[in-house]
Amino acid sequence: MTFRQFAYHNVIRNARVYAAFLLASIFSILVFFVYSMLMFHPKIEDQFLQNIAFGGMFTAQVILIIFTVFFLFYSMSAFLQARSQEFGVLLNLGMDNRQLNRMIFLETMILGFISTTVGIFFGFAFSKFFFMIIREMFLLDSLPLYLSWKPFVLTIFVFLSLFVIISFSSSVFIRKKNIVQLLKGFGRQNEQEAYSKRRAMLGILLLIAAYSLVILSLFQLKVYMSFIIIVLALVGTYLFYTDSVLYLLGIIRKRKNLYWRSFRLIAFAEGSIKIRENARMFFIVTVVSTIAFLSVGVVTSFTSFTAQYREMNPVSIFYSSNWDNPFEEEHVMKLSQELQQEGLSYELVKFTVKKQTSSSLRKEVNLIKESEVNSLAVALKIPLIDLQNGEAMIIPNTLEDYEGIRTEEEQTVLEESNIPIQIKGAYDQVIFPSLVIKDNSLIISDEDYELITEPLYGYGLRESSMTFYAFHVSEWLRTKDVGTDLDRVMTQSMGTSDVNPNSFYISNPGLNYSIIRATFSLLLFTGLLVAAVLLLAAGSFVYFKLYTDLERDKKQYDVLRRMGVTDRELVKIVNRQLIPQFFLPWGLAMVHSTFSFMYLQAFWVDLAAVSIVMEMLLVLVAFTIIQVSYFFLIRWRYITHIQ
Amino acid sequence: MSILTLEEITKVYEGKVAHLAINQLSFEVEKGEFLAVMGPSGSGKTTLLNLISTIDRPTSGDLTINGLNPLQLKSNDLSLFRRRQLGFVFQDFNLLPALTVEENMILPLTLDEQPVNVMKQKVKRIAEQLDLTSILEKRPFEISGGQAQRTAIGRALIHEPSIILADEPTGNLDSKATRDVLELLSNVNKRSNTTIIMVTHDPIAASYCDRVLFIKDGEYFNEIYKDDRRQTFFQRILNVLSLLGGNVNDLSTIRLS
Repeated sequence: MTFRQFAYHNVIRNARVYAAFLLASIFSILVFFVYSMLMFHPKIEDQFLQNIAFGGMFTAQVILIIFTVFFLFYSMSAFLQARSQEFGVLLNLGMDNRQLNRMIFLETMILGFISTTVGIFFGFAFSKFFFMIIREMFLLDSLPLYLSWKPFVLTIFVFLSLFVIISFSSSVFIRKKNIVQLLKGFGRQNEQEAYSKRRAMLGILLLIAAYSLVILSLFQLKVYMSFIIIVLALVGTYLFYTDSVLYLLGIIRKRKNLYWRSFRLIAFAEGSIKIRENARMFFIVTVVSTIAFLSVGVVTSFTSFTAQYREMNPVSIFYSSNWDNPFEEEHVMKLSQELQQEGLSYELVKFTVKKQTSSSLRKEVNLIKESEVNSLAVALKIPLIDLQNGEAMIIPNTLEDYEGIRTEEEQTVLEESNIPIQIKGAYDQVIFPSLVIKDNSLIISDEDYELITEPLYGYGLRESSMTFYAFHVSEWLRTKDVGTDLDRVMTQSMGTSDVNPNSFYISNPGLNYSIIRATFSLLLFTGLLVAAVLLLAAGSFVYFKLYTDLERDKKQYDVLRRMGVTDRELVKIVNRQLIPQFFLPWGLAMVHSTFSFMYLQAFWVDLAAVSIVMEMLLVLVAFTIIQVSYFFLIRWRYITHIQ
Repeated sequence: MSILTLEEITKVYEGKVAHLAINQLSFEVEKGEFLAVMGPSGSGKTTLLNLISTIDRPTSGDLTINGLNPLQLKSNDLSLFRRRQLGFVFQDFNLLPALTVEENMILPLTLDEQPVNVMKQKVKRIAEQLDLTSILEKRPFEISGGQAQRTAIGRALIHEPSIILADEPTGNLDSKATRDVLELLSNVNKRSNTTIIMVTHDPIAASYCDRVLFIKDGEYFNEIYKDDRRQTFFQRILNVLSLLGGNVNDLSTIRLS
């Protein structure tokens, strides 16, 4: 048997120990590879999509790698620790440290090689499926499978170097011990579950502070608060696991009336040791689950957002043109043609808007004809308006503005043509984009409209008017390919400012919506995949921990059984030990994500208008079902082993 | 009055090679007796102890403990039976590492859901008796082997069982701790009239008992009763052991104190 064969057999014959670990790392590599496939996809030409694909995938990959490093390092050192007796024997037989390191290195590389190969194989096999999902999300025509060396090289390079680093750093742990210590094994119980009361209090205080800040932010929002809250919550969660839980258990353990009851004695004592040992893992699992809950929550709420979005942007395509726009007819023709090409039926309402100066506002106002608004209202199936002569209504910028001005009454005169009008409240629909309305648009009766004959001071008649075109398309979600060139001209010249240097303005909610939707779906999808990898990793770790402690636990349960613990009671004891391990991080993650969601609602006003209770409940129920079934699976394996 | 009766107990381990561990073994133990069971390695001592502990069932034969036949009990009742009637002391102590000395001792009482004051009283009394009062709050890894075994004995005594079963209780202890533990067991046996059955390799340990039962290859070999002086009893035990004809290795180091 050569040295290499020895290392190989060590891995292959311990397959049961490594199974969960391999599964988790294979899945992590699979996801990483699929992300790289999308990142390097040659067919994605769209600049915007390329940014999302590259940026999104890159971020997801970085997160994935950070957590994979944690997971690998943690697992490998636990593996080596569990095998310390074996290493002691080998060193005792005369193996030198260099050889031991070489053996550990070889074994780790075998594991790395297996998981990278299998991960890439399945990753390539699933790429097509992944591309299909992406294609559906972005409504692309085709996103074919391709073959390029880039994703392969990236994945192999990243993960093999990861495994090399891990194999070196994790064996440091073994090298520090001498043979006798190794032979005895690491008595895992031989440390007090030490906690400091100060750190325990600090942990609880930080969590309370973070939650209170969230509630405060509901009333008064400051952007820098989010950083403070995140830091407070992270540190608080960490201290909560390392100290606070133990402190709370310690308080209970001091009260013998509570503590000295049948199984509590064992459950609490064992529980605090397990929590102390796994504090860091619990911390990671909590953070990951919070992110997972949150991203799923945000995206599921998106279905409600669709309806809301429609209400805020009732006109499917809106085009407005100033007097100096030479392309007006050309553009409108183009939009109609494009709509016809897409096979979409539409109704077009044209508005001729006149400009005058209002005496009370002392500025220019847009005046829109009642009958034109009504013909749009008929198309949109919203209530019609009926204005008397001399009456006017304000068109609100947004629905929130409407609440403020709905009862406003004001007397004003359109100065150039000298027409007195009485403003009577506001129109209860947001029909035009706010950029065009600019707080100064009024609807007036047709008779008053006809009376406006004088141009704005210092302008000609032609210069004091503009035109709106409102296309109503009932299948508004499908308009994303209409007017894309105009939209691009506009977004490029405007940037992020709200000053429009062009002589025209176009808004296509279908296109905007499709961008928002695709971004969200991608966020959800990548977030879910990363969360799945991490939850699997955490699960593999729990499995491994149980497996290495099995011998010791078996002995303990044997003693208990001799002392007269029935099988039913044994299951109860196991339950009391496993339940906190599974549901403590999960429960805290639930609380965290509830608060994060509250914060997010405060942060993003659009979201606040959406009721997401149902969606959030669904997500929580789904996660609960997964977690509970996982718990029963592990418990079943564990109980068959100890009986 | 006998508290434990074995009649023609036979235990066969099934498997690829069937193995006869105990063969038609019969004996009785009187209430308040301190019995040692000796025999070479593989003679079936541990199997015998497991059978008496009711965690293993004999292939044939009858077993009576305190007037009850555990073989007729259901597994649930059997657990309750063990919980109230039996106490255990092991070679490697088997204290639960997560619990303190005090908590380890009250464990059988909590399983039986006794009131907290009763537990406090009992643990106080036992701790004084075993000289553990000063280390009650310590954890098992912080105390010496002798202290650990005394704690284990405390755990076996606290619920006042009819029989204490000890499996090589001195196997992991140095000579001083061995003597302490044996004197303690002997005291407990005399003072509270508790029946003790102890499996051991060590002739010194056996010399503290009232009677030594020798088994070989799962069968009854011989038994001797103690006489006035421990020294001569010890010598007679050695004689039987050499007669037993195991290998020299089976006899553990003889320490003449």
